[in-house]
Amino acid sequence: MTAALSTRRLTKNYGDRPALEPLDLEVAAGQHVALVGHNGSGKTTLLRMAAGLLDPSGGEAQIMGHVAGSLGARRDLSWLSDSPTFYDDLSLWEHLEYVGCLHGVEHWQMRAEDLLQRLQLVTRRDDIPTTFSRGLRQKAAIALGMVRPFKVLLVDEPFVGLDANGKSTLLALLDEAAAGGATLLVATHELAFVERVGRLLALRDGALVYDGPPAEVDVHSLVLPA
Amino acid sequence: MTDTEITPAPPERARPAGTGIDALRSLRRTRQRHRLGNLDWFEAAYRVYLLAGFGGGGVLWISSSIKDTAVSASTQADVLRHGPAVLGLVAALMFMAGIRGGAQGGPIALEAADVVHVMLAPVDRLRALLRPSVQRLRSAVFAGAVSGAVVGQLAGRRLPGSLAAWAAGGALYGATVAALWVGVALLAHTLRVPRWLATLLGLAVVGWQAAAIAWHVPAAANVVGSLGLWGWRQRPVDLVAVGLAVTAVAVGFALLRRISLDALARRSALVAQLRFAVTMQDLRTVILLRRQLNQEHPRQRPYVRVRSVGGRHGLTGSVWRRGWHGLLRFPLPRLVRIAALAAGMGVLQAAVIRGTTPAFIGTALLGFVMGLEVMEPLSQEVDQADRADALPVDRGELMARHLLAPAIALVPFAVVAGVAAVLTLGANSRAVVPAAILALPTLLGAAAGGVVSIVRDAPDPSSSSTQQAFMPPEMAGFTTTIRLVWPIVVSTLTTCTVLLPRQALRNGTSATAASIRGALGVLLVVALVGYWVKVRDRMHVKIRAFMAEGRAHSSSQRSSA
Repeated sequence: MTAALSTRRLTKNYGDRPALEPLDLEVAAGQHVALVGHNGSGKTTLLRMAAGLLDPSGGEAQIMGHVAGSLGARRDLSWLSDSPTFYDDLSLWEHLEYVGCLHGVEHWQMRAEDLLQRLQLVTRRDDIPTTFSRGLRQKAAIALGMVRPFKVLLVDEPFVGLDANGKSTLLALLDEAAAGGATLLVATHELAFVERVGRLLALRDGALVYDGPPAEVDVHSLVLPA
Repeated sequence: MTDTEITPAPPERARPAGTGIDALRSLRRTRQRHRLGNLDWFEAAYRVYLLAGFGGGGVLWISSSIKDTAVSASTQADVLRHGPAVLGLVAALMFMAGIRGGAQGGPIALEAADVVHVMLAPVDRLRALLRPSVQRLRSAVFAGAVSGAVVGQLAGRRLPGSLAAWAAGGALYGATVAALWVGVALLAHTLRVPRWLATLLGLAVVGWQAAAIAWHVPAAANVVGSLGLWGWRQRPVDLVAVGLAVTAVAVGFALLRRISLDALARRSALVAQLRFAVTMQDLRTVILLRRQLNQEHPRQRPYVRVRSVGGRHGLTGSVWRRGWHGLLRFPLPRLVRIAALAAGMGVLQAAVIRGTTPAFIGTALLGFVMGLEVMEPLSQEVDQADRADALPVDRGELMARHLLAPAIALVPFAVVAGVAAVLTLGANSRAVVPAAILALPTLLGAAAGGVVSIVRDAPDPSSSSTQQAFMPPEMAGFTTTIRLVWPIVVSTLTTCTVLLPRQALRNGTSATAASIRGALGVLLVVALVGYWVKVRDRMHVKIRAFMAEGRAHSSSQRSSA
């Protein structure tokens, strides 16, 4: 069976400094994985390379058997960044329409309405998201990431800026996506979230230092820099 | 699906790959409608009127008001012989800029949102990127054609051929060089040429062209340079250059699918800031962002460590050391760029001596840019205004001391400028002394314009936003124009002193004495700028206090009446 995410000797260097040391990884389809590590440990670098947004210095990443960034990979992967970007001349609804149509979603309106309702953004649907607060921007990004079909969801620090209600809604959405068969890889500093996943990956200074069930390790010790 | 369940849609629900391009087209049309709807047509027409009137009219007026004589027959022969190689050097430099820019992720820049929402969507990237690429080509070709036409009509005033023919020939040359730049950049980017290789190839082409100028050997870029003489004579073989440029662009476009998303993501945010800075005429930010776009970072370690002599340094010593710490971290490309600016200044000043009067304006512009580059320690102080304000020293005193280290650092570049000037004048021994006398003062003077620009943007402790807000729009526009232009006026004032030795040579009097007079004049301007930097804040406070006192006096008179 094709792995949802696989990396082979995936490496990233910034000048002489290694941001990610050669990484071999396989995430099976349908797995629910948390990625932890201290600031600068390489989490975002790994996710951005898997999304095709960052060129590796060496090695390769694949999404559902397609090279990261290729047409097939883009069709199967949804990427939720920790710093969402929006057009400054489109409303939230127009963003949803645009992203839905780009991904060929036929009934995007139903999905969009539902997401806006659950994320409590209905009253802001005709507003420009670049004017939103940090938390609302995050919610808008979540809606954009989930209005389209996906098999693999990569999420970077999704809880930053969210209120309690937003966090619980996001957790519910992630659970539902996982229940629907999607593969989730979530980079987070929220250690409470780690208890909900079946597999934990920990990076320290660009190297993978733990790969296994979260119950078998002291997670706090994994997120400390060397 | 209920209203409480969101599950990822099965892939069958998605349309076949590529259909999303229709959504992209539709969005672009919608956004264009939004932009056109928001456009204030009257204001746009007014801007075009201003640009055409002050820009186009200004260029023609300045060009026609300078009565340079037609060149002699021997100089005409020189231009025909060396012109293609010299103009080819510009093309070679643009080739180098293009190949290095492409290796660093240029020349296309998308909106940050486009990188995430369009480039990560399952749409054909070639079709998605074609429009921004064509827009890039269009703007570059337009800028190249306009610049070429302006320079062409200047040349036409001294060389055989009609002004219109020279303007058209210049436009063709400028457009070809610009297209070559875009095409080479696209090729370097899509073929993922490593930066070191791009620099090497660029240097090889520039070096070859320089050799063609020095030793009259044939060089590849001569065919491009020859296009620049089409105002005078036309050679069909020169159209090979146009064909090359078109081919480079076409192949670059065909390879657009290979473009790096990493580079697009990095550039998108920077380019948005860059456009905003250009709109605000914030030259310092423009330069900073250009450096970031080119991934040009200061060295981790300075070339030479400035050794501490122990104990306290005092204000002057501390600022002097801090200045050298920054200057000695300039990366090599930046030093090369400053040396190239200095060489360019020398060549242009020599062109003035040879009779092309407007060239001193070009020298001023190059020197102004050099000032912005070399005055980095001062710029850093202005950028970190909160730090400077927290120091227990007068800000003017602090900023004035920041001028010392960069001024000394200009000495080797003055040597470069002097040598370039002497070589351009045919290594004439009579040119050595005037060049030696004028080189450093000219560089300092031209860089003083950069200093004015940097310090002008420093926050004014005595002004308030309220005062600016109540300024009438007509006055605000005038003030903005003056603020933008007067640093360049300072640079131009100092570079025009080259006219003194030229006049002396024509009159048969001592060029050395004239150069000394010119150098003293420039140094006076430099000293005045230094003094202005020192007392600017104090002067502003005094002026505002004086005005406030006047207003208070008037209001007390009114109330007593």
